[in-house]
Amino acid sequence: MNDARKTKRRSALAVLVIFAVVALFVVRLVDIQVVSAADLNEKSLSKRSVSQTTYGSRGNIIDTNGNVLADSVDRFDITASPLLVDTFDRKSEDGKSTVEVAVVDAINELAVATGATAADITTALTEKPGSNFAYVAKSVTLEQLTAVRALGIPWVYDVLHPSRTYPMGSVAGNLVGFIGTDGPQNGLEVTEDSCVGSSNGTSTYERGADGIRIPGSTVTTKQATDGGTLKLTIDSDFQWYAQQTLAQRSIELGADWGTIVVVRVSDGHLMAVADYPSVDPNNVDGVSSSDLGSRAFSSPFEPGSTMKSLTIASLLDAGTITPTTQVNVPGRRDLGNGQSIKDSWAHGDIRYTATGILTNSSNIGTSFLTDSLSNKETRRDYMTKFGMNSLTAVGFQGESSGLVRPTSQWDAVTNYAVQFGQGMTATSAQMASAYQALGNGGVHMPLTLVEGCTMPDGTVTDLPSTEGTRVVSEAAADTTVAMMENVVTQGSLKNTLTVPGYNVAAKTGTAEVADANGYGSDRIISIAGLVPAEAPEYAIVVTFAKPDTMKTSGAVATTFKKITTQVIKTFKIAPSTVPATTYPLNF
Amino acid sequence: MSNLAFATPLRSPVEEFPARHIEIVSSREQRRARPRVFYAVVVVIGLFVLFMAQLLLSIVVSDGAYRIAALQNSQRDLGREQQALSEQLDLLSSPQNLATQAESLGMVLSNTSPVFLRLADGAILGSATAADAGESVITGSAGSLVPNSLLAGVPLVTATPDVDPAIAADAAAAAAAGAAAGTPVAGAPTAPPTADSVASNPTTLPSPVTR
Repeated sequence: MNDARKTKRRSALAVLVIFAVVALFVVRLVDIQVVSAADLNEKSLSKRSVSQTTYGSRGNIIDTNGNVLADSVDRFDITASPLLVDTFDRKSEDGKSTVEVAVVDAINELAVATGATAADITTALTEKPGSNFAYVAKSVTLEQLTAVRALGIPWVYDVLHPSRTYPMGSVAGNLVGFIGTDGPQNGLEVTEDSCVGSSNGTSTYERGADGIRIPGSTVTTKQATDGGTLKLTIDSDFQWYAQQTLAQRSIELGADWGTIVVVRVSDGHLMAVADYPSVDPNNVDGVSSSDLGSRAFSSPFEPGSTMKSLTIASLLDAGTITPTTQVNVPGRRDLGNGQSIKDSWAHGDIRYTATGILTNSSNIGTSFLTDSLSNKETRRDYMTKFGMNSLTAVGFQGESSGLVRPTSQWDAVTNYAVQFGQGMTATSAQMASAYQALGNGGVHMPLTLVEGCTMPDGTVTDLPSTEGTRVVSEAAADTTVAMMENVVTQGSLKNTLTVPGYNVAAKTGTAEVADANGYGSDRIISIAGLVPAEAPEYAIVVTFAKPDTMKTSGAVATTFKKITTQVIKTFKIAPSTVPATTYPLNF
Repeated sequence: MSNLAFATPLRSPVEEFPARHIEIVSSREQRRARPRVFYAVVVVIGLFVLFMAQLLLSIVVSDGAYRIAALQNSQRDLGREQQALSEQLDLLSSPQNLATQAESLGMVLSNTSPVFLRLADGAILGSATAADAGESVITGSAGSLVPNSLLAGVPLVTATPDVDPAIAADAAAAAAAGAAAGTPVAGAPTAPPTADSVASNPTTLPSPVTR
């Protein structure tokens, strides 16, 4: 029995040891699988998994015909590891022998491939020799990247660097704006960022020892979103013509700046907003910082006589004048307190009709016509309904609302001066928008620069408002345009303004520019008009600020005619079939 | 495996009895247990097949991973190439470039004396004068005034950097002939238009040659 007890004890010991060992394993198992499982999983994953940024593509900006104004492109940063910079062996072309390439040679090859200078690359590589990262070249094109890769330098790498390019350069560069290193910097790139803006995503995947992605291991931690496509109302070909013509004439005249704004009268869509000088978004440093935006929206000025058309339309709507209202216009109108109104040329008494006053741009005549509607508030209301003193519906970056002071601040001269465009300010965009209302039978449409934003999923947002507001009656608007035809057919600029076969309505403006010492010798000259006059389709406003060589609106006439002709050609306007309306200028 | 655990206690009563001259006969349970070996073999073979299938499948899948990686790389590269080419196309079709190229070929965009054809009665509106290169928008001014820094490296279509010497000689001869005739090489013809051109004869319409 001793044996049996021994056996029993022995087996009990064995069982105990087995239990102890099993218990040890269980504890360890629980520890690995449960207690520190998350920690260990993470550690193992970090050895296998790679996190990567997936780039969302910033939306394009296109013109009304789908031509690309702003485009997102792939660029690449070429980087290197200074730590690993050394000579290396390169297989010769037949693949049999190898050639040793010295560091200096490699740097020279890199310089040729990337366009950077060898000196810069050498500096980048030797600045921090112990570092594992240095830029060789930034934002190189695919072509350059391919050249770099072909060199087969083992210590050179590349990183994707999404970038922005503007294939048309400064065509509409004043409107589109540009992107800096820290994101959108100017223009529509900023204000429409909610449309074109994209966001980068992140995802992780696991890779094997040779760097190949393990199937099914991709985990998207954040989805990248692409931006929408922003469609403008601008016609890029026409915009280019306007900018080229504007720049050419501005240089000839020595003008500080100039603008051309062309609006389709039926819906208030802007066909062109040309600024001189304006920025090439590909080369922002090429112009001074004050020329980066659009002066057509941001620079208010006293428009001068182009306001007279709006005054005439207001008075016609109020029923206080007709195109043939007779006014005896003296050479000077005294307003007491030493204040007076003068015309731009010396004259004695002239017997003008209202049309004659508009055609010859008589300030004194306009002041007498203004007397027929003495209520200042009513006249100011007409101006605000034409869009004065408020931002246009475009809401462009840095836009100015111009200024028409409250009537309580109008003195005896201002009371009349605002009616011929002095003592108040407006932007070129506002003037074009007001003339749009004249051409559209008195209905002011919201000025529109953005036709819509198409998101990647196909939804269209940012659709422009199509609700117009009536400013003056249709008869008043049409009669005003008919009176403006006489500026072209009977005015002093008839030889330069007439476009054969087309009735054109226009009004000139030669405004004095106020500086610290009052009105000086500087002028802002402009012509605003409509084509074709019998059924206006486009409103055109051409403005030059502070020209040196010619300071009258006559200097604008050739440009205005070129733009009008280009409007006719580009937008296929049929020749007029009715003769121009003619009113007597004198009685 | 579990089969063995049950089989062991069955054998123990047999061992209890001292050996007699009797033949050991398999119990009914043992006889019944015999087919279990067959089952075990089937299961093991089945498992083996499964493991092999799994192994092959994962080999195929990981082989696919290499193909996917290669295809994704080539898709990315081709996408980039396509993008780079369309980027270049957009640049070349920019209005500045088109206008400059067209004018270098002698075309003139002039709006100083436009002439229009009224379809209603076939009347020609305006007095036609031949366009002069000086009136054109690019050559008539100080070049392209709507800058595009990306166009810096784009050559004119008329530029012949490296051509066949014979063609170059021809071009030089043509240029010399043009200069001798008083015609600007890249400009519009300044000679009066011939009698059958529309521009020179504003009162009549040329009869159309084709539809």
